[in-house]
Amino acid sequence: MRERPGTESDAILGVVPGVVFEPETVDEATSALARCARDRLTVGFVGGGTELGLGCPPSELDVLVRTTGLGRVIEYAPSDQVVVAEAGMPLAALQRVLAPQGQWLALDPPWPDRATLGGIVATNAFGPRRARFGSARDLVLGVSFVRADGTAAKAGGKVVKNVAGFDLPRLMVGALGTLGLLTSVTFRVHPLPEAAATVLFPGADASSATALVAALRAAQLEPTSTAALAVSDRFDLAVRFEGFAAGVAGQVERLVAAAREVGLAGERLADAQAAAFFARHDAVREMGPLRVKVSAPPSRFPEVARSVLPPLLGELSPAGAAFYPSLGLGFVAGRPADARAGAAVLSARTGARAVGGSLVVCEAPQELRPSVDVWGAVPPAFALMQRVKNRLDPDRRLNRGRYLGGL
Amino acid sequence: MAAVVGPRNCFVDPAELLTYECDGLTHGRTRPDLVVLPGSTEEVAEVVRLTRAAGRPIVPRGSGTGLSGGARPLPGCVVVGLSRMRRILEVNLADAWIRVEPGVINLDVTRAVAGAGYYYAPDPSSQSICSIGGNVAENSGGAHCLKYGFTVNHVLGARVVLEDGSVVDLGGAAADAPGLDLLAVLVGSEGLLGIVTEVTLRLLRRPEATRTFFATFPSTDEAGEAVSRIIAAGILPAAIEMMDRLAIVAAKAATGLDWPDVGAALLMDADGPLAEVEHTSERAVEIARQAGALELRLPRSEAERQLMWKGRKSAFAAVGRISPNYLVEDGVIPRSRIASVLREIEGMARDHGLRVANVFHAGDGNLHPLVLYDARERGQEERAEHLGGDILRMCVRYGGSITGEHGVGAEKAAYMRDMFREEDLETMRLVRAAFDPESALNPGKVFPVTPLCGEKPERGGPHPAERAGLVERW
Repeated sequence: MRERPGTESDAILGVVPGVVFEPETVDEATSALARCARDRLTVGFVGGGTELGLGCPPSELDVLVRTTGLGRVIEYAPSDQVVVAEAGMPLAALQRVLAPQGQWLALDPPWPDRATLGGIVATNAFGPRRARFGSARDLVLGVSFVRADGTAAKAGGKVVKNVAGFDLPRLMVGALGTLGLLTSVTFRVHPLPEAAATVLFPGADASSATALVAALRAAQLEPTSTAALAVSDRFDLAVRFEGFAAGVAGQVERLVAAAREVGLAGERLADAQAAAFFARHDAVREMGPLRVKVSAPPSRFPEVARSVLPPLLGELSPAGAAFYPSLGLGFVAGRPADARAGAAVLSARTGARAVGGSLVVCEAPQELRPSVDVWGAVPPAFALMQRVKNRLDPDRRLNRGRYLGGL
Repeated sequence: MAAVVGPRNCFVDPAELLTYECDGLTHGRTRPDLVVLPGSTEEVAEVVRLTRAAGRPIVPRGSGTGLSGGARPLPGCVVVGLSRMRRILEVNLADAWIRVEPGVINLDVTRAVAGAGYYYAPDPSSQSICSIGGNVAENSGGAHCLKYGFTVNHVLGARVVLEDGSVVDLGGAAADAPGLDLLAVLVGSEGLLGIVTEVTLRLLRRPEATRTFFATFPSTDEAGEAVSRIIAAGILPAAIEMMDRLAIVAAKAATGLDWPDVGAALLMDADGPLAEVEHTSERAVEIARQAGALELRLPRSEAERQLMWKGRKSAFAAVGRISPNYLVEDGVIPRSRIASVLREIEGMARDHGLRVANVFHAGDGNLHPLVLYDARERGQEERAEHLGGDILRMCVRYGGSITGEHGVGAEKAAYMRDMFREEDLETMRLVRAAFDPESALNPGKVFPVTPLCGEKPERGGPHPAERAGLVERW
């Protein structure tokens, strides 16, 4: 296994690891963690490094394991729509393997060229198509991982339906590598759609956007994405359908009619215009150096637009917000003018919590971090989360200090 | 206990305990010492505390329809039945969720919101009697989970009583609550991690249109091929079910349907927006024809459609018409291997001198072989169980699973080692220990028994290995 001293370019939020391990096989990854266990070393994991801003800086980091050497497809059965791939494989590389078979992994998080499968699972990264296909939680069927004690284990299976044993694959989703190092992931994959259409509602306010989402549901339509981009105090709202051409065309018609009922006029975008809209969307999702994720019950979007987004957008320049109104999830990002942005984050979090939601800081400049409390207050089940962590990583050596409440 | 739940909700009389000796898996009965039916979260918590103080194991129970013995009592245990907790607490159609108590019947969730055009998607065949609490414990599926997913995809939040009587809330109506997703591991944990006393479920809008067709084939080979080609064409059916010759015979005997005597039949639902569904169902019919369908029937009315589904859903019980006894198995294989797996099952059945009827969720490869036997004939029951085990191990050999929706329970704990290595099971035991360090909740289920190598447990306390969650007695 390749092993070298850590450098500045290996730093996680400014913390430089003593040693970097670069395993190229699952066996090497297993022995790397076994060594860390034997020598009681703290260890962090990096895939494509796209979400390193998520969480607190590590409180200790003896070893960094880079997973990008684990980049192979282990098993792919197109007729079963299941793929097993190593955790360090970038999403786009996997899609290139699936596409010739007319399939894809229905996840569309930012930075697909760099974001790795393991990293996407560990950070629960997602994009607009979550509206139709769910997140990694809904698509992961199995995982292989190495526990803190260096033991290689697996859970779940390679079939779409399976309830044998505890659902540890889903427990790994969003756990930020605090329960083990993912070495391979098994996903359900979907057929690539044969047609797509995007309808844009420019300059909608939050109430009509919410009404439109309700109307979509009432009209029994099944869009693959609904995405709202903030433009001053209003939103450009796009609804995208993907599937068979006949179904897409029929749904576009029904959508335009349903939108008229709530007073919105939509225009079907040409392919290039649709691509331009989603490029704007992607730019917001990849914007820094401050970026927060907001969650709220979907029907509370008007309150979110009133009390969560404005305080933040007001302190950022440039600034952007991408919200998925059918999911009740969104991101606000931009460049803070000064330290007042910290107070704006806290105020936005208060707004999100007031409607039963949450706010997590995904990325923040070093100087702002102490004032923003990246995860927010610990949830009521925190003690139970600690107990799970203590069983799987009793010495708290995995990603120490990074996760919620120091998990 | 009587002071906590009221004397009328405690049962110790052997005649009253009879109902609780088993669940839907009726062999291997055990009489509990006590059955308690609490009426609230607080009562569940107090019952758990009292039972723990008495050092007794706790077996949670919903409607008792489980097919893997997950609610089977243990000697000396207290059964905590949730059937009195059947209130619908809150409906929020703006955000499409409903909050219910665990004893609410699956179908009653849909009934509560059907008027507004909503439904609850997971539809196990027992949905008219099984409870939401049981569905959460088992991560129940159903015919329509190919498109819509399982219980775990539809539970947004839960209130849970832990083994020490403490109460914790997991998840919620807003997505992505920060922190570990403990809800994900709770769902499907078969009553080993906690007792749910409130559940928030996602509701779906009824699809605009549903198109159903019934197709017959000379054999399961052609039917399996049709399933593969339909999926390969990019179609995601809401459900696609297969029956073999014996299952068709049984369903006809029970329902009087005029299905022909053929080697195999498929029943498929496509649902969603009208324009999409018309396209996909037409293509699926065309593909079925090309794959060798003998006859294709499209229901002319909703009543006729319901009748087709009744034939499918009654097939399990209908097997009772053609055999005095039968075992229901539940294994999963990669969908593309259906034809060869069914042939293999046929051969195994012949070797055992038994018959197997197959009626199952073909779209996700979830087999339900029904092993027919006659308990009056000496040795047949043992042979049937042996055959069932062989079928499960074959599923694992094909890269599948020993259970797709019935759970491991008491019945399949012994097969867990066929699917998982000791390290895998140990990881699950560590999670179990985090929730329930002394294995007080539903011990003896899911995990294969690990012998303690002759060591005696400490007097009045668990063995250190038990405390660490690495082994359990029972």
